[in-house]
Amino acid sequence: MSRSTSTTEPGWMRWLLIALALGFLLLNLALPLAAVFFEAFRKGWDAYVAGIIEPDAIAAMKLTLLVAAIAVPVNIVFGISAAWAITKFEFRFKSLLITLIDLPFSVSPVVSGLVYVLVFGLQGWLGPWLREHDVQIIFAVPGIVLATMFVTFPFVARELIPLMQEQGREDEEAAISLGANGWQTFTRVTLPNIRWGLLYGVLLCNARAMGEFGAVSVVSGHIRGLTNTMPLHIEILYNEYNFVAAFAVATLLAGLALVTLALKTLLEWRYRDQLHVGGH
Amino acid sequence: MTTVALPAATPRARRGLVERSIMPGFGLTMGFTVFYLSVIVLIPLSAVFITTAGMGFDGFVEVALSQRALYAYRLSFGAAAIAASINAVFGLVVAWVLVRYEFPGKRLVNALVDLPFALPTAVAGIALTALYAPNGWIGAWLAPHGIKVAFQPLGVVVALTFIGLPFVVRTVEPVLADLGPEVEEAAASLGAGRWQTFARVIWPAILPALATGFALAFARAVGEYGSVIFIAGNMPYKSEIAPLLIVMQLEQYNIPGATAIAATMLIASFVLLFAINLLQGWSRRRMAA
Amino acid sequence: MTVSAHNIVKHFGAFTALDDVSLEAQPGEFLALLGPSGSGKTTLLRIMAGLEFPDSGSICFDGVDVSTRPTRERAVGFVFQHYALFRHMTVAENVGFGLTVKPRAERPDAAAIRTRVNELLSLVQLGHLGDRYPSQLSGGQRQRVALARALAVNPNILLLDEPFGALDAKVRKDLRRWLREVHQTMKLTSVFVTHDQEEALDLADRVVVMNHGVIEQVDTPDAVYNRPASAFVCDFLGNANKLDCTITGGAIEIGGHRIENTAPPAADGRGIAFIRPHEFDVAADGQPGVAVTLRRLTRTGPMAALDCQTSAGALIEVTTLEPPAGLLPGAALTLVPRRVRAYAA
Repeated sequence: MSRSTSTTEPGWMRWLLIALALGFLLLNLALPLAAVFFEAFRKGWDAYVAGIIEPDAIAAMKLTLLVAAIAVPVNIVFGISAAWAITKFEFRFKSLLITLIDLPFSVSPVVSGLVYVLVFGLQGWLGPWLREHDVQIIFAVPGIVLATMFVTFPFVARELIPLMQEQGREDEEAAISLGANGWQTFTRVTLPNIRWGLLYGVLLCNARAMGEFGAVSVVSGHIRGLTNTMPLHIEILYNEYNFVAAFAVATLLAGLALVTLALKTLLEWRYRDQLHVGGH
Repeated sequence: MTTVALPAATPRARRGLVERSIMPGFGLTMGFTVFYLSVIVLIPLSAVFITTAGMGFDGFVEVALSQRALYAYRLSFGAAAIAASINAVFGLVVAWVLVRYEFPGKRLVNALVDLPFALPTAVAGIALTALYAPNGWIGAWLAPHGIKVAFQPLGVVVALTFIGLPFVVRTVEPVLADLGPEVEEAAASLGAGRWQTFARVIWPAILPALATGFALAFARAVGEYGSVIFIAGNMPYKSEIAPLLIVMQLEQYNIPGATAIAATMLIASFVLLFAINLLQGWSRRRMAA
Repeated sequence: MTVSAHNIVKHFGAFTALDDVSLEAQPGEFLALLGPSGSGKTTLLRIMAGLEFPDSGSICFDGVDVSTRPTRERAVGFVFQHYALFRHMTVAENVGFGLTVKPRAERPDAAAIRTRVNELLSLVQLGHLGDRYPSQLSGGQRQRVALARALAVNPNILLLDEPFGALDAKVRKDLRRWLREVHQTMKLTSVFVTHDQEEALDLADRVVVMNHGVIEQVDTPDAVYNRPASAFVCDFLGNANKLDCTITGGAIEIGGHRIENTAPPAADGRGIAFIRPHEFDVAADGQPGVAVTLRRLTRTGPMAALDCQTSAGALIEVTTLEPPAGLLPGAALTLVPRRVRAYAA
């Protein structure tokens, strides 16, 4: 047997495997994506635009942006805090803490929403108190924000922790030995070192925040124009057999997904050495 | 100068939770981390178990192990297992092709693999339904053969296959890339054929990663909601997944019922998380060797 | 500035990194901390800098206890093993960093910082590279930028962790000479860590030999090499044959051969004798000395290396300029040690 056949496959085998992989990806990923745009434009451009500029759709977009604008920055602060504490210090129960940070990823989205119903709902722990003080969290915007924070909780932290672990502490020690204080060390040395990794984590966090369905669905109450995010609005339109409008709004989220993938690929290509790629 | 050390001025490492360090900000960052983790994740999650505990054992069993719930678990876990298996096979092929071969459009294909991570599940759900409905692109083609996908348990498998693929690809890919050509050349120089090289050298090296990818895809699929509910048809005892049953209970204001099922699902998640940690440890040891 | 460490103890978990270490560096002195990895040398350096905290003991600068003073107030220049240059800053920005982070009241203005940076860059012979980024420099250039950056804040002392560790042999030698010159012009008390004995002996005024968290010997390069205080120092510095011996009344006996004058004096009993390869005379068989059989002879340039074996099986390496003519493997020889250092086993 010749050497070439032992370290690579015969030509026909290579092409068979490539065909198999591409065929599966086409069927499983490309077709669904194409279907979104096809269905949205099934009745032409005007029907598409009508689905998007309808007031309830606009309200849903505004709410989605608002929720992401709160949940993402809070999770950025959390992610940086957690990564700093975990990678710059030695302490007990560190690996337990890392496991707990990943926890929201292994919880069903529906359960992620339910937990807030149990705490803040009418029959929940704080329900009576909240009612007394006329504060509504469940079936209102605060509940949606909380559920979104829960499901997007680990994204930034799990990107930064391995990255900062790899980068070590020497740069910070150098800055401190040169007289920099804590804030100067962070803003002038650490932050520039992690900026691309941070952006990477934020991209994924934002995509999930804007697209979350299950958790938000449980706490939203589905009040049109008030507590419907874009994914929830899509569901309502779909269940009303208003398919064109449903897919029209869906193209916006699909567009967001494509932009996210493009930027992510760009970052991986350009700054591979300054990222920790491999987070889900 | 004196050579006597002054014990009073001696800095001592704290023997407590954290080692003393010159890095600033431990109290602030650790404080915020623990506070935020507790408020957003730990306390709300504990509510599931505390509420369940308040139901009593019989009350719990009555809901969590009701006939309808058992059907839902069977569908959720069964469909997740089938979907993860499909993804293990095709995910391995995709990872192999991406690591080993060059072909036009490879970068695009590579980016597309992560689509399920980026595409909102509701969008995936309606798109898959449109494709597999009897009048859809794929459904219309399958219907004459008597194969129905949408609004059937098979639809659940299709949706779970969609969302699970990147978990397998992205777990296997780095291990495959790390397995440089040297080991294969070594195997070949020792007289192994291509198939023997794969079976005896490559397969054992990637098996832990493949198992990890399978488990990650499975764990994600068990809890999946958004992409499934549109295509499943949601008939009790037939095509109703466990997360949907929780939502159903909630819509009927049966919060204890929802909580009992949620507690069961959470325990399953934790067992899976533990299994995944073990698998990842196995995978890391293999890679380090 | 005098830098002193007093009774420093440091544990990492169950591992003892430093076990009651005391040390003093005189003003303007160039001190080397030499030892194998895990000997505690880097930990001691980091404790001096305030980057690490001892479990007990204290650090004094000119007799003033600075143990509780944070690093940024100790005014130490620290050069990291992998340089720790800030990769998103230019060379000039790296060198000027320490000046730009000073509190506003003490911070020099932009022009003054620029002047100081240029001064330092020409001191390290990199005046033309100020606008480059660290990734565009060679290893030796990065190492000089790291030194300039450490010097920019006018440190009291200069601490260098394996300053040449990441460089190849040729660059290493050039930089060594250059660093010695910089040290002489700056007249700074400097301490550097190395595991390379040649580097330590070549550069330092005094060498501190460390092993397992304790100091084995502090002395001039000549003294640690020629009068090693312990078996470890003798073994670690330079190549030496280790032979089992018996010590009686100051004299030692190796393979039936008795040698009278030994240094340092060791207690009676079993011992280990250290003899460097070039400290043997090679004589014909039958003379008083250690009887051996020649296993192999190799010539490298002017020197000949002889691999010999005693009747007891011990291997002895000998180097000599003039081996007896016509030697073949298997020949019986007698080795006469000119100089032996024996330590209790």
